[in-house]
Amino acid sequence: MNLDLDDRARAFRDEARAWLHEHVPRTPLPNMDTAEGFEAHREWEATLAADRWSVVSWPADYLGRDASLLEWVLFEEEYYRAGAPARVAQNGISLLAPILFEYGTDEQKERYLRPMADGTEIWAQAWSEPEAGSDLAALRSTAVRDDTCGGWILNGQKTWSSRAAFAHRGFGLFRSDPSAERHRGLTYFLFPLDADGVTVRPIHKLDGHPGFAEILFEDVFVPDSDVLGAPGDGWRVAMSTAGNERGLSLRSPGRFCAAADQLLDLWRERGDGSPALGERVADAWIAAQAYRLYTFGTVTRLAEGGSVGADGSVNKIFWSELDVRLHETALDLLGPEAELRDAGAAAGGAWMDGYLFSLSGPIYAGTNEIQRNIVAERLLGLPRGNR
Amino acid sequence: MHFALSEEQTELDATVRALLERRGDSESVRRAAQSAPGYDTALWSTLCEQIGAAALAVPEEYGGAGFSLFETHVVLERLGYALTPSPLLGSGVLGAQALLRSGNADACARLLPGIAAGTTLAALAWASADGRWHLDRSDVRATDAGAGEARLTGSAHLVLDGTTADVLLVVAVRDAGTVELYEVDSAAEGVHREPMTGLDITLRFARIDLDSAPGRLLCEGAAGLLGELYDVAAVAVTALQVGAAQRGLDMTVAYAKERVQFGRPIGSFQALKHRMADMLVHVETSRTLSWAAAWSAAQGSANLRERAATAKAWCSDALNAVAAETVQLHGGIAITWEHDAHLLFKRAHATSQLFGQPHEQRRRLLGHLRLAAR
Repeated sequence: MNLDLDDRARAFRDEARAWLHEHVPRTPLPNMDTAEGFEAHREWEATLAADRWSVVSWPADYLGRDASLLEWVLFEEEYYRAGAPARVAQNGISLLAPILFEYGTDEQKERYLRPMADGTEIWAQAWSEPEAGSDLAALRSTAVRDDTCGGWILNGQKTWSSRAAFAHRGFGLFRSDPSAERHRGLTYFLFPLDADGVTVRPIHKLDGHPGFAEILFEDVFVPDSDVLGAPGDGWRVAMSTAGNERGLSLRSPGRFCAAADQLLDLWRERGDGSPALGERVADAWIAAQAYRLYTFGTVTRLAEGGSVGADGSVNKIFWSELDVRLHETALDLLGPEAELRDAGAAAGGAWMDGYLFSLSGPIYAGTNEIQRNIVAERLLGLPRGNR
Repeated sequence: MHFALSEEQTELDATVRALLERRGDSESVRRAAQSAPGYDTALWSTLCEQIGAAALAVPEEYGGAGFSLFETHVVLERLGYALTPSPLLGSGVLGAQALLRSGNADACARLLPGIAAGTTLAALAWASADGRWHLDRSDVRATDAGAGEARLTGSAHLVLDGTTADVLLVVAVRDAGTVELYEVDSAAEGVHREPMTGLDITLRFARIDLDSAPGRLLCEGAAGLLGELYDVAAVAVTALQVGAAQRGLDMTVAYAKERVQFGRPIGSFQALKHRMADMLVHVETSRTLSWAAAWSAAQGSANLRERAATAKAWCSDALNAVAAETVQLHGGIAITWEHDAHLLFKRAHATSQLFGQPHEQRRRLLGHLRLAAR
């Protein structure tokens, strides 16, 4: 047991802090789920990349810094503490890139990683379908082999695809062998969202912005060079992203620690001495610390050759429910003002925006009900049963 | 940064675990709890002689093993898992740490070797009649009798292992109104010890009544010391809580795999699975905060106050939740005397009260954070 940072980690953290202090925009960027905000956030990705801060854990060859997992966590803490913009490139960086590094061909890595790292190409995830949400393996979109053209023909419909309204490319699973058992016979494809036969229909989220979209596929041709991993191996390939998404990459503890600190500030300003609210503020602050420290445990395990595995599900349940609780507490501190949406609203309406966003946490990346099944079956060894 | 047990700590954990599996089953725990001293003296000797349980956090110059409070924490977590009654918390942590933090080299040299060996037992007499460990007052008053000697009068409540202790470390208010720490021989004239019967039979408490009992001042000005001691005590209690929470989860999962209703193990029902998944989240987050706090206690870090309050608030709530679920998920068998669920449930309640209830610790944390410059 040792919770001290060594000199190298501390130097890395200090460098990140200094850079962010200098470069983080003073005024918030427009919402990234608007056309204008999307572009502004892409520019921010380019600014990050120019000084190699967009993908610190990637190899230097691909605009990264070869940062250790611990350094990545520290960077994220600094990032959120500095109030830096949301990451519009997040889905590509945290969900697709780990798979590209593990299963991608050299040519795929060459073609996709750098434009992903500097915000030139934004990626959207195409997993869920209207009839396949929690039961992802029920997906029905198809990929049919076309030997003459050396590729596949995609048909079907994907939905809840974050960033797809404005993104350039997508990645997702398609059923390439209808006769195989449902988890087999799936293939992982990469495709441009402006390809012939692709229709993107934006879906407006409860905040009024097109934060995700439906993607319709009508005889969309994808060459063999855009199959990720082996044909038929898509489930296994995709599940390695699921571990990343739930476990670490998508929701670093820095975000919750920063929000908990802001909540504390809000309580200092507006607590009115209410012990009941004080209790909730303290509880949320403690939970954020728990998540941060739990992550250090995960980082240690990974550094020693372990895997995130089902622990990612513990994480996911914890952070997503914490996020909701934390924002509810903030809204209660703000009172009626929290409901106001005009320019003079408290904290620019940021707490309400955060609250609306937090509602999706227990749903996306595998609902918390699914996560609890995973925890129960894989960590506790409880028998499978009817759902 | 290494947030995990070291090889040595893992080995320590395994050794204690193996010992308690052999000699700390339910029957032995109950027998020990109902015996006169309230703990298994033979098991305590083994823990001290073979593992050095009480010596781990005592410096070598005072006959200790020179490790840290983190190693003690590892042992306490295992004792918490087995619900083993033992003087490790009362004497090995509260007593030894009070002495060490007093900085009184003479008292440390006289008392710590015995405490580290487990042959001398110390108890910290602190709580007031309201059942709180106040940093600025006590129900005991001390009158100077010259040359560092004093006469102590008043009562201390909820003194952990107070009836079995050889030496009492008494928090008292001195003539001038300052709070001080005194050493009192428990066999001295004017010392009366009355057991206080608690719901949790695995923990023993006493009321210590002092009537002009002779005491020796350990240091000048104990206010700072008491703050640290309170934090260290709270952190040590969380080790017991984490162990107990893990036990509750393990018991419940084992039962759910074996108990069959409607033709299948009840653990296959999703309604129950999800409750057990939540228990696991409680256990994992508790251990995380408890270990981090133990690290700060062991290092004497500046963030000890924050980590102690954080851990004690969270681990208390978590164990209460896990213990309640342990009872509910076991069904009728859990509300019998024969089953261990009630031992766990009572341990949860008792430890939640010790050294700061969750809401008190949260208030403390807020006070601390309000002042802390960020």
